[in-house]
Amino acid sequence: MKPIRSLWLAISLVLLITSAQAETRPHYGGALRVAIAEPLSSLDPADASNISGETAIHKIASLLFDTLTTLDRRGEPQPALATSWKSDFNSQRWELQLRAGVKFSDGTALTADSVAASLRVANPHWNVSAAGDSVVIESDTPDASLPAELALLQNSIALRTGGRLAGTGPFIVTQWDANKNLTLAAREDDWAGRPFIDSLEISIARLPRDEMLSLDLGKVDVIEAAAEQMVRTASTVTSAPDQLLALMFMRNAQSPEEMRLRQALSSAIDRNSLNGVVLQGTGEPAGSLLPNWMTGYGFLFSSSFNLDHARQTRAGANQASSWKIGYDMNDPIARVVSERIALNAQDAGLNIQPATTGVADIKLVRISLISSNANIALTQLATRLQLPPPSFHGDSAESLYSAESALLQSQRVIPLLHLRTAVVLDKNVHGWNENQDGNWDLPNVWLSMEKNKP
Amino acid sequence: MSFRRKLLAVFALTVFISVATVALIVSALARQAFEKSEEDRTATLVAQFQREFNQRGKEITHRVEAIASSDAATRIAFSFNSNGKDYAPFLGEARYIAESQQLDFLEFVDAQGTIISSAQWPAKYGYADKSLPLSQPPPDAFLKKEDLPDSEALGLFSIAKVNAGDSSIYVIGGSRLDKEFIAGLELPVGMRAMFYENFRAGFSPQALIDPSGTLKDPQRIAGFIQDVLQQKSESTTLIHWSENAADDEALHAIPLSDPDHQVVGILLVGSSRGQYVELRQHIRSATLFAGGAGLLLAILLSGWAATRVTKPVEQLAHAAREVAAGNWDTQVNVGSTDEIAELAESFNHMTQELLAQRENLVRAERIAAWKELARRLAHELKNPLFPLQLTVENLIRAREQSPELFEEIFHESATTLLTEITNLKSIISRFSDFSKMPQPQFQLVQINDLLRDVVKLFQAQFQAPGKGPIQCTLKLSDAGQVAADPELLHRAFSNLVLNTVEAMPQGGNLTLLTRPQENSVIIEIQDTGKGLSQEECKRLFTPYYTSKTHGTGLGLAIVQSVINDHGGTIRVQSELEQGTTFTITLPRNLDKLQGDAKMTTHKEPR
Repeated sequence: MKPIRSLWLAISLVLLITSAQAETRPHYGGALRVAIAEPLSSLDPADASNISGETAIHKIASLLFDTLTTLDRRGEPQPALATSWKSDFNSQRWELQLRAGVKFSDGTALTADSVAASLRVANPHWNVSAAGDSVVIESDTPDASLPAELALLQNSIALRTGGRLAGTGPFIVTQWDANKNLTLAAREDDWAGRPFIDSLEISIARLPRDEMLSLDLGKVDVIEAAAEQMVRTASTVTSAPDQLLALMFMRNAQSPEEMRLRQALSSAIDRNSLNGVVLQGTGEPAGSLLPNWMTGYGFLFSSSFNLDHARQTRAGANQASSWKIGYDMNDPIARVVSERIALNAQDAGLNIQPATTGVADIKLVRISLISSNANIALTQLATRLQLPPPSFHGDSAESLYSAESALLQSQRVIPLLHLRTAVVLDKNVHGWNENQDGNWDLPNVWLSMEKNKP
Repeated sequence: MSFRRKLLAVFALTVFISVATVALIVSALARQAFEKSEEDRTATLVAQFQREFNQRGKEITHRVEAIASSDAATRIAFSFNSNGKDYAPFLGEARYIAESQQLDFLEFVDAQGTIISSAQWPAKYGYADKSLPLSQPPPDAFLKKEDLPDSEALGLFSIAKVNAGDSSIYVIGGSRLDKEFIAGLELPVGMRAMFYENFRAGFSPQALIDPSGTLKDPQRIAGFIQDVLQQKSESTTLIHWSENAADDEALHAIPLSDPDHQVVGILLVGSSRGQYVELRQHIRSATLFAGGAGLLLAILLSGWAATRVTKPVEQLAHAAREVAAGNWDTQVNVGSTDEIAELAESFNHMTQELLAQRENLVRAERIAAWKELARRLAHELKNPLFPLQLTVENLIRAREQSPELFEEIFHESATTLLTEITNLKSIISRFSDFSKMPQPQFQLVQINDLLRDVVKLFQAQFQAPGKGPIQCTLKLSDAGQVAADPELLHRAFSNLVLNTVEAMPQGGNLTLLTRPQENSVIIEIQDTGKGLSQEECKRLFTPYYTSKTHGTGLGLAIVQSVINDHGGTIRVQSELEQGTTFTITLPRNLDKLQGDAKMTTHKEPR
C-alpha cells in the first residue's frame, strides 16, 4: 500500500503545484469591469473638453489610441508609433520615422498622411507634413520638447473618417454610452501584442460610495478613487503623486501688504496635519508646483508650518484680510481642507471664510498632471492656474527651477499637497500597473481562472 | 332749532349713548375674555415647548450615553490615547456615528476639550473647545451655541464620559434647535412659534427662525427682542405688523440660557389678534346695527311723542304769529287739560281782549276823525259863508237905506256871492277828489323830466312879489326809467314842492335830488324853511291834518297815497328852523308794465 499511497501523494502534489502556477501566471481571457468617478462625454482625445477638463479620457486614451512617443519614468520620450526622430540644429523642424505595419482598429494602415492629419486636428498651428514613412513637424519657434509633447493625450493618433473614430491602441470600442458606460474589446492585431483580457467594461461617473458598494458586491473588479479614500482598503494600488492641491488666488496681489498676507497664509497652513489627518498620509506636503519625484528639487521650496512667522508677517501687513475660499463641492476632501485652512488662517489672524456660492477670492484646486515631463507639466499647471507661461532657458534642471520659482513668487498660488490617485482591485485582478502620467496600462492585466469561468 | 327737533335730538342722543355704553361694556368684557383665553393658550404652548424641550433633551442624553457606551467610543478612547493622539483614524468617525444616531452635532473630545473628531466641523480636529463644561458636566441636556464653519447654531446638547483605562474622553452630542424643532410644536389655530438665536450683539433679522415663513418685517420686533435680552425674563408685548389691526399679534418671549446663564435664544410665542379684532368688529357691527335700529326707533317714537308734546305749543306759536300779523281774532283749540291748555286759554282770552280794545280804539279814532273832519269842514265852510252872510246883509241894508245905490250894490254883491259859492264848490270838490283817488296807470316815466316839469310850473311862485325869493337847485342823477303813473306822480311832486314853497315864506333854498338804486330811485326834496316838530312829523301824512292856518290837510295824505299805490315809501326828516327833507323811495316797477305801455311816455299832468 505504501507505493500506491506515495503515488497518490505525488499526483496530488503535481496537481496542486500546477493549480498554483495557473493562479500566478498571466493568461488570456475574461472581462474586466472598472468603475470610475470621472465623467467621460467624448472619446476623441483632441476634443477641447478632454484636453482641458478632468475627464477619464486621460486614463483610457492609451487603450484606444497610441501616440508617436511615450514618456518613461523620468519623463523622457521613448518610441511608440514613432520609432525614431531627429531635428535640425535649432529644434524647429522635427522628422519622425513611423513604425511599420501598424493598423487602425478599422483595418486602415497607419500612414504618414493619417498621422499628419491627426496631429493637425490637435495642433492647428503646427506645420505637419508627410515625407514617405516619416512625418515632418515644423514650427516658427524652437521646440526642444516636441517629442515629449507628442506623448500628450491630445496628440494621440486617431483616424477621423465620417464621424467615426479609430485608433491604433490595444482595444476597440464595442459599446459607448456617453457618461455612462464604455465597453472595449481586445484587438487581436495590436502591434504591441494582444491584451490578456478579452474585454473591458467601464462604468463612468459613479459616486465613490456606489463604487465601493459595487466592489464589495462583486459587480466590478476595479474601482478608481482618491488615495485618501482607499487607504484602509486591501488591494489598493496608488500612483506616484500626480495631482497638485493648491490655493489659487483669483487676481494678482494689489499691494505689498497683500503679498505679505498671502505669505502669512502660506506659513499658517499646517500641511503635515492636512496630509496626515485629512489625506490619511497618502499625499505629500508641497511647497512646489511639481512633485519632487518629477524634478528632484521639490524639497527646496518650503512647505513647513510656522505659525509664529505667519503671525509676524500678518502683523507686518497693515491691512486686514477678508477672503472667501471656494472649492469644488464634488471633491470629497475639498470642504474639510478649506475649513482646515480657514482655521489655520484664523490662528494667524487672517480671515478666510469657506464659501460655495458667490465670488471667491481664493479657489482650492486639484490639478492632475498630464505629463511626466516636468517642462510640459509645469506649462500645463501654469495654464490651469491662470499664470503666465513659464520661461525655460534650456532643458536643464536649473532652468526648470527658475521657471517654477518665478511662478511661485507671483504669490498667485500656494501649493498645499501633492496627491496620489488609487485604484482598488478585486483579488482576481492581476498585473495592474499604472503609468506615472496616470494612464492605465491594461494590456498586461489578466484575470484569475475563476473569473474567466462563465 | 325748533322745540320738536331739540326734543327729538335729546331722545336720539339718549338712545345712542345707551347703546354705545352697552357696546363698550360688551367689547371690554370680550377683550378681557379673549386676553384670558390668549394667556391660557400661551401658557399651554409654553408648557408644551417645555415638555418637548425636556423630551428632546432626554432623547439626546439617551443617544449620547448610548454612543459613549458603544464599542466604537471605547475603541476611539483607547486608540487615541495609545497612538500618540493621532487624529487621522477618526476624521470621519464622528460624522458617521452622528448620522447613525440621528444627531446634528457630535464630537469626541479628550479630557482637555481637544476635539478628536467632529461631525459638524471635521476640520476642527486638534482644536480645543473651551466652552464645554467638562469639569462638571450637566446631568441633563443643556442649550449651547455651537460654532460651525460658516455660521453658528443653537443646539440642545448632552455630555457623556468614556473611560478608557487611566484616561478618558467625552462624547458631546446634540440636536439643532432649528426650524424643524420649532415646526414640530403643535400650535393652536392663530398661534405661531418663532425662535431668535442670540449670537451677536444687536438685533439680526437672520437670527430669527420662523417656521411659518410669514414674518415680513422682523425689524418691528427688534426693540422687544432687545428688551427681553436686557431683562433676561419673560415678557409680553403687542406687535403692530401693519396698519390693519387684524394683523396685530401678541408676542410672548421666553429667554433660554446656556449653562453659563447667558441668554442664547428666545422662544417667541405669537398669538394673532385677528380673532379678537374680528370679534370686536362683530360687536361693533352689532352695536351699529342695534344703535341704528334704536336710533330709528327712537326717532319715530320721539317724533310721535314730540308731536304730542309740541303740537299745542306750535299751535300757540302759530297763533302768536297770526296775531303779530294783525289777525287778532286768532284762536287756539287745545283738547287737553294740562298746562299747555291753560296757556292756550290765556292766549285766547288775550286775543279777545286785544280785539275788544282795538274795536274801541278804532271807534275812538273814527269819532275823532269825524270830529276833525267836521271841524275842518266847519272851518273851511265858515270862511266863504261869512262873506255870503255879509253880502246878503249888505244887500238888504242897501235896499232899505239907499235904494238909489241898490242896483250898484246888487251887482257887486252878486259878484261876491258867485265868487264865494265857487269857493264852496272848490272845497267840496277837493274832499270829493281825495275820496276818489284813482289807481295808477303804469308806463315808463323819466323821473328827472317829471321833476323838471314840476319845477317849471312853480317858477313864477319862486320869484313871487311880496315874498322872499326861493333858489331852486336840481341835483338829478341819471335815475333812469321807472314804471309809474306820470300824472299821479306829477301831482304828488307838485304837492310836495307847494308844501316847501309855503314852508319858506321868507324865501330860501329848494333842492330836488334823484339818486338811482338797483331796483328803485331815491327822490329827495329839501327846503330850508322853518321846519317841523317831531309831533308834526308823525302826523304829517294823516288826512285832514295840517300845520297851516289854511288848507284841507289832504295834500301830503294824497302824496303818501300816490307813493304807496306805486309800492314806494315816503319819509320826512325835519328840524325846527333848519328845514325839512322828504325822501321818496320809488321802485322801478318794470314788471307792472303791460304791452305798449313800455314806451316812455311823458304826458302833461291831468
